[in-house]
Amino acid sequence: MAELRYCLAWKRPDGSFQPGETFASFAEAATALSAWQPQSHSGALSTQEPCCTDQVEIWCSCQDEPATVLSRPRYSFVVYGTVAGGGGDGSEAAPWWGLQEAITGLVELERSGQLALRHGQRLRLCHREVFATSAGQKRKARAENIAKTVFMAMALMLVAPVLAILVYLLVKGWPALSLSFFLENPRERMTAGGIWAPLVGTFFLVFISLLLAAPVGILAGVYLNEYARDNWLTRIINLAVVNLAGVPSIVHALFGVGVIMFFAELRRNYGIWVPFEDRCLLAASCTLAVMTLPVIITSTREALASVPMSFREACWNMGATRWQTIRTIVLPNSISGILTGVILQVSRAAGETAPILLTGAVFSVPVPDHGWRAFVPYGLHDRCMALSMHLYTISTQVVNVPEHVEYGTAVVLIGLVLAVNSASIALRVYLRSRKKW
Amino acid sequence: MDTTKEKHAGPVVRKPVVAGSVGAPHSAVPQTQQPSTEPSPEAQQPPRKSSLTDPIVSCRRLCLYYGTAQALFDIDLDFPRGEVTALIGPSGCGKSTLLRCLNRMNDLIDGVRTTGNLLLDGEDILQPNIDVITLRRRVGMVFQKATPFPKSIYENVAYGLRIAGIRKRSVLDAAVERSLRRAALWDEVKDRLHESALGLSGGQHQRLCIARAIAIDPEIILMDEPCSALDPRSTTRIEDLIAELRGQYTIIIVTHNMQQAARVSDWAAFLYEGKLIEFGPTTKIFTAPDNKQTEDYITGRFG
Ligand SMILES: Nc1ncnc2c1ncn2[C@@H]1O[C@H](COP(=O)(O)OP(=O)(O)O)[C@@H](O)[C@H]1O
Ligand SMILES: [Mg+2]
Repeated sequence: MAELRYCLAWKRPDGSFQPGETFASFAEAATALSAWQPQSHSGALSTQEPCCTDQVEIWCSCQDEPATVLSRPRYSFVVYGTVAGGGGDGSEAAPWWGLQEAITGLVELERSGQLALRHGQRLRLCHREVFATSAGQKRKARAENIAKTVFMAMALMLVAPVLAILVYLLVKGWPALSLSFFLENPRERMTAGGIWAPLVGTFFLVFISLLLAAPVGILAGVYLNEYARDNWLTRIINLAVVNLAGVPSIVHALFGVGVIMFFAELRRNYGIWVPFEDRCLLAASCTLAVMTLPVIITSTREALASVPMSFREACWNMGATRWQTIRTIVLPNSISGILTGVILQVSRAAGETAPILLTGAVFSVPVPDHGWRAFVPYGLHDRCMALSMHLYTISTQVVNVPEHVEYGTAVVLIGLVLAVNSASIALRVYLRSRKKW
Repeated sequence: MDTTKEKHAGPVVRKPVVAGSVGAPHSAVPQTQQPSTEPSPEAQQPPRKSSLTDPIVSCRRLCLYYGTAQALFDIDLDFPRGEVTALIGPSGCGKSTLLRCLNRMNDLIDGVRTTGNLLLDGEDILQPNIDVITLRRRVGMVFQKATPFPKSIYENVAYGLRIAGIRKRSVLDAAVERSLRRAALWDEVKDRLHESALGLSGGQHQRLCIARAIAIDPEIILMDEPCSALDPRSTTRIEDLIAELRGQYTIIIVTHNMQQAARVSDWAAFLYEGKLIEFGPTTKIFTAPDNKQTEDYITGRFG
């Protein structure tokens, strides 16, 4: 077997390696590394001084055979070349701390047999600045950036349609918007006049539905979060809430119609008192209430659950009953969340068309234009107009409605929803800020 | 110092510390409540030689199960009246569980089952017909994590009185001052009583919680690692406070800090894996424990 030779090779600025001195043993070659003056990539690499570079290799070859070098180094180590000290194991994760440490480490590895270069193999030693990011870290950072950009793009895609809708509607509906548009009733088969009657109708519908749904929903939420133990009854209630929330609104509407007919029959055949027996404001409000109830329950529970358990335990520990705990600690600390949940249901109820379409809202109702009756145009058992319904009517059922009236109505509807949502946010911010006492 | 103290309307009448009163009527509780349960090996330990004659709380063969997992095994333990008892032992050995038995806080966890007897002044507080509201007013608790309510300092301390229906301003004022003084917090907060309690420091929070607990004049104060989240200086203050409250209140404290246990307690109980290994005067437990496990734990060889 021929003698092995070890050649030090310095990296050139162009990336190729320039062979230098040759040594008879690995240890000698490693020791000669102390002539290395490590420099980082970024600095201008000197062409004159071969030892000023960021990588150096030890090439191994048989004395007699031509030096064919494999494309990849057999071993690869990393060193913080420009510092002194000790430590590290030369790996990517824990580079040698200083050139001297690297030389000692290499010699030690070779002596203990963990490192054996054969003909045509090479060993690479890379210099790294102490605080420079390694290739792995750079990869991670790049992946991080890409992920962030993609996620942000997705989030921004949400904003785009909202902005587009708002701008489009505003531009188209602008000519219609005036005070009289709000305050006048529709005239001339809806082709002129304003939206007062449907606006008031929507207000009534939403208000009455909330009056029905909010107390029930909040109290049910309090029961479920504060009192209910985990048993079959609680599980049935939970199941009901989840399923009720998933029912499409048109099904709610059909159910409302069914109830109306059932009530009417009760009234006719048995003379029993019923809250309503025909399509009317109250029936529509009840349908909306049933629709919003599960969400109010869920948001109430979430708001209550955000109050830390330790508060309750501290209260109980001082002899507070559950109700006292709820009244003095839990509710004051969750009221903002509860109210936000309720108010968000206002905007949802205001926008829904299907449930009221079949249960109480109608195409057109003759309403008084003047006097106090203009402010209370509908009784509980009257049919009413509603903004969402009105929009549907004038855009699909009536001919010759000026475009700007349609768009103006849409602007008012969406503005109403946005205003309610902003109000809920403002309320939450206000209540949060008051928590400082 | 404060003359208002005596005017407080709460139930301040408290039994004096009776050292060595022989034959207190409730001290001889039969240990044979459940003859059917087979005695575990731990129950066969030699009977403790303690000079306890007037325990305020006695556990008799107390077992506790979280669902099917047993957390306490046949605990027999007397907590002496008016003194400080430390519960020590490695994490998960059931110290908190035992503590929470004493004011029935474990009731609030689903699936907890308790057997045996727990006698507070001779009355079994594990019976279902016990009024837990009254019980919890007699047995207050301070948690590891201080839980000041997001209210003013004043309202925090007055909370227990308010929910008990006390409305009179003068009574509330007096109780708040007295409790804050006893908790060594009065001087620091007397000018800002109506500011938010959340603005206090961590150590002050914990003392506020102690003030809140003593405002309703409990007989027993349970402390579950009250200093484990505090800096050394606040810890010292709390320890001083415990020394002050000693005698007036029975204090049962869980701590992982052996020096602290040695400093503040008169009695110490060592629990291991849900079993009471050793109970005795603190000096004895810390200098000459009978049990090898106790010695190993205290000297830091396991746990
Ligand atoms: N709510 C719980 N449900 C089920 N197991 C519990 C519960 N709380 C505590 N445990 C169990 O009871 C044992 C004792 O717990 P704990 O009393 O908190 O120990 P320590 O306070 O001594 O650290 C532990 O094994 C723990 O897992
Ligand atoms: Mg604990």
